[in-house]
Amino acid sequence: MSWKKTADAVVVGGGMMGMATAYYLKKIGLKDVALVEKNTPASGSTGRCAASFRAQWGGALNITLGKACIDRFEHLAEHLGVDMDIQLYQNGYLLVAYTERQFEQFKKNVELQNSMGVTSKLLNHSEALEICPGIEVSDAVGFSYYKRDGHADPMITNFAYCEAARGIGVRIEKFTGVVGFKVDCDSVRGVVTDRGPIDTDTVVNAAGPWAGRVGALAGLNIPVKGERHELMVTEPVDWGVCPTMLMSFEPDYYMFQRPHGSILAGCGPSRYRREAGPFDDYQMGASWNFMEHMAGHVNKLIPRARGVRIVRQWSGMYDITPDLQPVIGESDELKGFWVNVSGARGFMFGPVAGEMVAEKIVNGHTSLPIDEFHWRRYAEGRFLVEPSVA
Amino acid sequence: MPLIERHPILDFKHDGKVEFTFDGKAMEGFEGEPIAAALHSNGVKIYRETPEMKRPRGFFCAIGKCSSCFMVVDGVPNVRTCVTPLRRGMAVLTQRGRGSVSIAEGEARR
Repeated sequence: MSWKKTADAVVVGGGMMGMATAYYLKKIGLKDVALVEKNTPASGSTGRCAASFRAQWGGALNITLGKACIDRFEHLAEHLGVDMDIQLYQNGYLLVAYTERQFEQFKKNVELQNSMGVTSKLLNHSEALEICPGIEVSDAVGFSYYKRDGHADPMITNFAYCEAARGIGVRIEKFTGVVGFKVDCDSVRGVVTDRGPIDTDTVVNAAGPWAGRVGALAGLNIPVKGERHELMVTEPVDWGVCPTMLMSFEPDYYMFQRPHGSILAGCGPSRYRREAGPFDDYQMGASWNFMEHMAGHVNKLIPRARGVRIVRQWSGMYDITPDLQPVIGESDELKGFWVNVSGARGFMFGPVAGEMVAEKIVNGHTSLPIDEFHWRRYAEGRFLVEPSVA
Repeated sequence: MPLIERHPILDFKHDGKVEFTFDGKAMEGFEGEPIAAALHSNGVKIYRETPEMKRPRGFFCAIGKCSSCFMVVDGVPNVRTCVTPLRRGMAVLTQRGRGSVSIAEGEARR
């Protein structure tokens, strides 16, 4: 294949964030958009994620983006003009509060969500059991629920963006790793890859957990690092065992049944990791400690799932930022160098975050207010507060 | 149907006879032999029905690899009966579809 040495914009990373950014850059008006991916689309974090999405956040901007993404997921194939079924399933997130303090926060969240058009509600035990029969949550204080939250297939959704992007003429360069950047004074001038250079004035770093490393190649200090989170999945059983996304922030866990029948469950590493060791070594291992810990949670919460066999466990990297919030915007030090990192929600925010970054690059302004996510907030000592993260 | 005396991989003996049920019918087998072997000697050939096409499935790989012999045993679906030893009083059911895990069974096993 021939290698084209110029582009109007180059996106680094073929996950949801990068693929969506490339698609909308081309769609909104750039002529020549290239995407470079060191492996294959969805091979990093997106393809390993639980692929769920929610509008039940505690911060206004997250609620805005979460809701916009649900609107988009509900009609994604039509929106992209591709004939693909992303296996969307919406039956809500059932968030579980185990302390009065958590439940007080849920009340505030629901009030804010309702004021923004997200019709979430607080539930008591019997209402929760109606939505998710047979679960053991007698030790919970209360619940919140929003019906339009849900999940989809991460690969197919990522590939839908890939097909759509390719269809409108985005160049997608697989197996192409970034090894450096061309920089001229305070502006980016090009990307150097292991297959050759591409001259461009606009780079979007959407490398997720690897975004810090990619940024370092341009001499930038982008505050993103990877953190390994693990998941497991059971053999399929008849539908209805956990028909909603059951999730808690403290203790942190999530579990849900995919339409095919498999029960998927996962949690953050702090709970089960006993041995000293880094979570940020970018190794995608799977641990016995996780399996033991998570199986205990599933057995406790879904008693009837006892005896259902686990068929697989795996892990993926979360892109962790100092306040666990997205890092989006153009570098103050290096003109033309953009960052689009989700803060561990690339699948759910990708479709809209990608469009917003593309709007900002092409039009100079965005239809949703994302400026708050610029990472200069860290240098200014400001952290965004989002209560609804584990 | 003949008793399965020797298995090329698995080692089991035919010592004490025990009773178990298949779809509610009382049957006899040898404790410790694979459930599927006990069913075989009782003349049972169909162990499950496939989820989509509703096709019958029975003994196939006999070493716990192929999913053909999945049955519901004591309320747990997808039990590989070809490698699971028979115990006294087991309730073995033909599995239809993916296998359901009912709330009542969950309660009973707590």
